Amino acid sequence: MSLAARHLEANGIPTVVMGCAKDLVEHVGVPRFLFSDFPLGNPAGRPHDPASQTFTLELALRLLETAPVPRTTVQNSLRWSDDAVWKRDYSNIAQLPPEEIARRRAEFDSVKDAAKATRAKEQAAE
Amino acid sequence: MSEPDDPFGFAPDENAPIPYRERIRDYYQGLGYGAPYRWAHYADVPFAPMRKKLSESRIALITTAAPHKAEAGDQGPGAPYNGAAKFFDVFSGDTSVDHDLGISHIAYDRVHTSAADSNCWFPLPQLRRLAAAGVIGEVAPRFHGTPTNRSHRVTLAKDCPELLRRVREDKADAVVLLAV
Repeated sequence: MSLAARHLEANGIPTVVMGCAKDLVEHVGVPRFLFSDFPLGNPAGRPHDPASQTFTLELALRLLETAPVPRTTVQNSLRWSDDAVWKRDYSNIAQLPPEEIARRRAEFDSVKDAAKATRAKEQAAE
Repeated sequence: MSEPDDPFGFAPDENAPIPYRERIRDYYQGLGYGAPYRWAHYADVPFAPMRKKLSESRIALITTAAPHKAEAGDQGPGAPYNGAAKFFDVFSGDTSVDHDLGISHIAYDRVHTSAADSNCWFPLPQLRRLAAAGVIGEVAPRFHGTPTNRSHRVTLAKDCPELLRRVREDKADAVVLLAV
């Protein structure tokens, strides 16, 4: 997604990326980034909270006009929760017992296989 | 760890944004995979200033969400990571009607969110409201979906030029991209 923003921008089209992974987007380097410090999957506001969704989208749009230089990141002032305990859980290998690691490895392999099969089928259909 | 008696009123260190690059690298190495994924990284970043006021601009949406596929199994709220729901070509949809787009093909945070509200990753209804309220000029006639491809080569050589072509065709003045 960050690569798409860069490509559009390099061709004269202003962009803003909305996302929840601050380091990943900033590592690539994009012109404008509205960062929401929320669990991955919520770049446009909190679930079932239309006020937060409108606020978040309006922030992103304002960034289109107001960013003074590329690599401008604005952090959404909304917080996901009062504490940061949720941040411990995402893909945290240190928290997983060996049997859970084995289960996740098998799960990820099967996701990759399914994606590969889907891609092969779609290519065959073209 | 939380230290409620911090004399300076500092937040716990873990309040900082999650360092995903480290987290994901350690995770897949811990699962037993080999060389770590190399994320794209650039020293220079392009910049195109807005040519019109926001209130006069045609705004396009680009998302990594996927259209629902009848044959791909559970793609709804809380569905397990679903490889069959992935897609491999840029697609577009008419912004004057609603769409059923999901994120079961993406490694979002399945512990702390359930993907029950598509407005969180595809804010087309809000964008329409902001157009009606005059915050933006108008919504571009189509939105675009782009694959979450692990191959930088495919993304750069195929998907990015295709997105540019479609955005130009729609005469969009600016683009909001949703990175799920």
